[in-house]
Amino acid sequence: MEPENKISPEMAVAEADVRSEESGEVVRGTSLWRDAWRRLLKNKLAVFGLVVVAIVTIASIIGPTVIKSAFGFTPDYIPTNDVRLIRSFPPFTGPNGEFSWAHPMGTDNAGRDQLARVLQGGQISLFVGIISTLVSLIIGVSYGAIAGYVGGRVDNVMMRVVDVLYSLPYVIVVIVLLSMFRSQTPRGQLTLLFIALGSVSWLTMARIVRGQVLSLKNQEFVLAARATGVSGPRIVFRHIVPNTLGPVIVYATLTIPQIMLTEAFLSFLGFGVQAPLASWGSLAADGVQNIAIFPWQLIFPGVTMALTLFSLNFLGDGLRDALDPQMRTT
Amino acid sequence: MSRINWKQLSALVLLAAMACTTLSCAVASSNEVYFGKTTPPARNILRYVTGEEPESLDPAISNGQPESRIYMALYDGLVEYDPKTLAPIPALASHWRANDDSSEFTFYLRRDGRWSNGAPIDANDFVYSFRRALSKQLASRNAYMAYLMKYAQAYNEGAVFVRDPSNGKFLLAKDFDEHLPPDPLAGSPVDAAKGEYQTTAEESQEPADSAFHQAMHTPLRLTLPGDEKARTKLLNADAKIKEAVTGKELVPVKGEDIGVEAIDKYTLRISLTLPAPFFVGMLAHQVFRIVPRQVVEKYGNQWTQPAHIVTCGPFKVKTWQAYHTLVVERDPMYWDAATVKLDEIHFYPMSDNPTIMNQYKVGEVDAVLNHTVPNAWLDVVRTKKDYMDGAEAAIEFIIMNTTKPPLNDVRVRKAFNMAIDKEAWATWRKIVKPLTAFTPSGIFHEYPQPKGDAFNPDEARRLLGEAGYPVTKNSDGSYSCPKFPANQIEYIYNTQESTKNMVEWMQAQWKQNLGITVPLRNMDWKTFLTLRAKLDYVGFARGSWGADYMDPFTFLSLFYTGGENGSGWSDPKYISLLDEANRTLDQKKRYELLAQAEAFMLQAQPIIPIHTASVNWVKKPYVKGMYPNAASLYPWKFVYIERDQAKWDVGTPSLAGGY
Amino acid sequence: MFRFIIRRLLITIPTILVVISITWVLIKLAPGNFYSGEKRLPAAIEKSIREKYGLDKPWYQQYGKTMWNIVRHLDFGTSLRFEGQSVNTIIRRSLPVSAAIGILAYLLALIVGVTIGSIAALKQNSRWDYTSMALAMLGISVPNFVLGPILVLIFSLSLYWLPPSRWGGFPSRNLILPVLTLSAIYMAYIARLTRAGMLEVLRSDYIRTARAKGLSEKDVLIKHALRGGLMPVISYTGPALAFLLTGTVVVERIFALPGLGNYFIQASLNRDEPLIIGIVAFISITLLFMNLLVDIAYAYLDPRVRYH
Repeated sequence: MEPENKISPEMAVAEADVRSEESGEVVRGTSLWRDAWRRLLKNKLAVFGLVVVAIVTIASIIGPTVIKSAFGFTPDYIPTNDVRLIRSFPPFTGPNGEFSWAHPMGTDNAGRDQLARVLQGGQISLFVGIISTLVSLIIGVSYGAIAGYVGGRVDNVMMRVVDVLYSLPYVIVVIVLLSMFRSQTPRGQLTLLFIALGSVSWLTMARIVRGQVLSLKNQEFVLAARATGVSGPRIVFRHIVPNTLGPVIVYATLTIPQIMLTEAFLSFLGFGVQAPLASWGSLAADGVQNIAIFPWQLIFPGVTMALTLFSLNFLGDGLRDALDPQMRTT
Repeated sequence: MSRINWKQLSALVLLAAMACTTLSCAVASSNEVYFGKTTPPARNILRYVTGEEPESLDPAISNGQPESRIYMALYDGLVEYDPKTLAPIPALASHWRANDDSSEFTFYLRRDGRWSNGAPIDANDFVYSFRRALSKQLASRNAYMAYLMKYAQAYNEGAVFVRDPSNGKFLLAKDFDEHLPPDPLAGSPVDAAKGEYQTTAEESQEPADSAFHQAMHTPLRLTLPGDEKARTKLLNADAKIKEAVTGKELVPVKGEDIGVEAIDKYTLRISLTLPAPFFVGMLAHQVFRIVPRQVVEKYGNQWTQPAHIVTCGPFKVKTWQAYHTLVVERDPMYWDAATVKLDEIHFYPMSDNPTIMNQYKVGEVDAVLNHTVPNAWLDVVRTKKDYMDGAEAAIEFIIMNTTKPPLNDVRVRKAFNMAIDKEAWATWRKIVKPLTAFTPSGIFHEYPQPKGDAFNPDEARRLLGEAGYPVTKNSDGSYSCPKFPANQIEYIYNTQESTKNMVEWMQAQWKQNLGITVPLRNMDWKTFLTLRAKLDYVGFARGSWGADYMDPFTFLSLFYTGGENGSGWSDPKYISLLDEANRTLDQKKRYELLAQAEAFMLQAQPIIPIHTASVNWVKKPYVKGMYPNAASLYPWKFVYIERDQAKWDVGTPSLAGGY
Repeated sequence: MFRFIIRRLLITIPTILVVISITWVLIKLAPGNFYSGEKRLPAAIEKSIREKYGLDKPWYQQYGKTMWNIVRHLDFGTSLRFEGQSVNTIIRRSLPVSAAIGILAYLLALIVGVTIGSIAALKQNSRWDYTSMALAMLGISVPNFVLGPILVLIFSLSLYWLPPSRWGGFPSRNLILPVLTLSAIYMAYIARLTRAGMLEVLRSDYIRTARAKGLSEKDVLIKHALRGGLMPVISYTGPALAFLLTGTVVVERIFALPGLGNYFIQASLNRDEPLIIGIVAFISITLLFMNLLVDIAYAYLDPRVRYH
């Protein structure tokens, strides 16, 4: 994973801009990234975040396979041939209450290995979180920036469109989407999930960026750029958008948990991954039902999710600082 | 910098873990006798969680169980459910008589029945309420429950009679339909009907004969659809009827034509189309409970507002805050007010099970509705002495779409049935009983319930092979069935935690025993119902049904109508067996015929039976007179708060003996 | 400014009509009916029900009637599921519950969030900063459907201090847990947005100018820095408050509260057309109004923003 390239597409846009127009000076663009990378590595919290996210990601990707070859069960394996095993065992506990390495996170109600389920859930939650955040960044930032910069009637219409999308009954929208595009294949279901998540995740981002742009567009540096005849799109994406980066990255890191939770809600309506597969959100939602009896059903998915979100957040902060144009100038 | 954070992080994680552990200990391992607090409320008030927010306080409107229980507090009918057995016990009818073949009933009303506004209740209230419940304008979802009454269905459907203007005679159904079951009442001449009831000394008079009664005993009239289009279509399809109808006048079926008659102020006679020994048992259903004519006519659909509502049950509405509390208080006007011991019942509409259980644990509610204890909690809650356990007249099954391959092959359907170890499932689910038939086990005691195919994975694999999908054994002992198009079928279900557990379990069984992984697909309830009803799925769908009344027919009737059951399966032989059974007076013989029909259906295997459900709820030990009966319906007038600890319920109260 | 407000209010009306129309189409497209149940109703009863509620009419007549009643009388009709209860009554009845909890939660979130967010920004990279941001992150990472039950477990089931659920009027002890549960995530959001906004502003030229002019640090912070630093928070407040006012499904369900959110989700799942449309219209009015307030607040707080 290369989060430093993915998290800030608007920077990529800006950079592409630099390359195309000042084609002789590719070196400058590269050093910009190298600079940012160096600053990021200096930030210990950000490095910590990066390491944790990397570990969780790698574990999620290879974990289920490793467990299958080591212990012989998959995240959806229910031991139906022995009913005594189909119950929720505490962490590190075997069928007779003895210590066992087989289930370090215990098992769920159906006797399935929690570790395998949490790791497999990570695949889905991380994937969903990151892709949807990217969608939210790309659409939300451009939309908000254009609306804010152009202003006037265009801004008015664009923001009313956002209002309309905001107001629609999400549950019904999702139910209709689901009934109109029924897909049996997991890939199709995932695509639908992204449509459902993407359709809402960018709205708040657009509003926030627009607000920022409104206050930035009359500042001296923009006026100066305009006076020297820089084109509109270039002003927006080269000069204004990088200056909104602070709130944008903060909000983007806030979007990821929100999206993971929305995903859990959508799975209630039948969107996204189907049982017996689960995501962190749906594991936590199931676990919370049994919090009083089998706390490990909530603790492990919950802590894994919280730790990852923590780390993503530190990473986001680090990135913000590393990429901040104002910090760069000092 | 990072050191501080590590410390904080680990401290937080530790704190969270500690909190969870101590708390879970506090909740789970408490070795109390009961689950949570057991301090009786200061006043004689029962606080009961009844489930979803009631749709309406009008007993004719809703068909939901949460509402049924509220209606039982507010409205009385001819009979009430026995709190233990659910058999009919006298309510506004003090006693009743049936004719020889149970196709006509006479009810003798008590003289002291009163509405909550003091007005007396008489037989006309029943006539009005029944006609209203069946009217097309009200469009009650429960109307079909009353279809046994003569011409009730025709009236409800807005049908028409056909009359010959020359002689005023109506065309008769039997002249056009040779498959029609014999008309029981027409077979017994009115003269005989006169003497069909044995009167006792306490009855002031013998039920009088009347023109209406005579009409009820004439052969069944022909009815045609009232809707022009539907009628034309039917007439064009049947030349004989078309010819007979030409030149005749069409007379709409009116409420007055329904087979219910107030012979006098306190005597009510109900005439049926079929003999139905179980009919009296159905009369406790909400659709047969009465509503106040004046109030309904004055306020229209606003009559159930607390300011207007007039009721006739043991309790009357005090306050109603939607989605919060419905408070009903003891009605001094109620004929049996002396029996009513509670001053008030507070109905709480709640639907989140952990929330309900928490509310119960801290002692904020005294009893909760059925199926509220989450499966994982059973280990703890089931050991407590306030856990209610008992057989339920409800079943869980899997419906298969028999119209689309590969499940249009009965061998494949049978294979999937035999590949599920229902015993193991029931052991895991802890409170249910494994089921191989389509009627619940242990509910209908005289009923010779047939047995479906037992768990037999070898036979299942053989059958699949025979159907063209050979199952091969892998080197590690697992199976695979490469030819089976598993990715083209699905198992659809509505989103619900307990259901999810179940479908995952079934999926695992099939995978283990057949080597087939059926994809699961959840959806919201209404979408699920639509897909299933329209057969817009390939493979399996979740099915469950709870009894409407205490007779096996309430289950078997799910497959009585053609194709509308979600499986697409329908068979004339099945239908004729059921018809024959319902014409049979001898209860034992009737049950045998019903069992034959059931066995026939199980052979065709449009469904895979899973289990007979169990009731699964809790009530505080001081709540007495409330029994875990098979339909989770409680006649509230018998419920009371017991303050003497020595008399508290310890464990599930027995359903044997009187109440 | 005045003309701007008038113009925005005028555009509100067509926007809401668009929302209602799209919602109407969506409901018609959604499978299932308010009356469908486990056992399929006999066809004749289904037909009677459709006739009773006018669902048998051609679509343009149904649409026309719905829109006409809304435009002409502001009447959203009668709920299909709750026989005889008008949509307007249901909203009027359930709104105070949602609003009470929503406003309390947002006030709490605003006070705590802005405070810790500002502190974190002023003492950037200090222990204060990390602690408050870690706490904020915890608030975001723990979903409210997890936080609520945990709070209930601690304060109701173990300590028996507070009631675990249900509405107890206003004010009452029943409010504490739902408000806490609801505010956690907003608190965290606001804290983070405040911090980011403040950091941005503190480095800007006009703060440097203000400092250079010799204004006291207090004045600089409160009059200038906070004012500018709150801009992202204000952007966020519009939609957030609109949703808080109109109810949050999860909290209302966990705590069994008779709020608008509960009605909304149930109405959607039950396909209760008039009720859905009524609540959607109400939500969109609230949202548009809040966003208008936000834009006005922008112009007021940030002299750089101009509306034409």
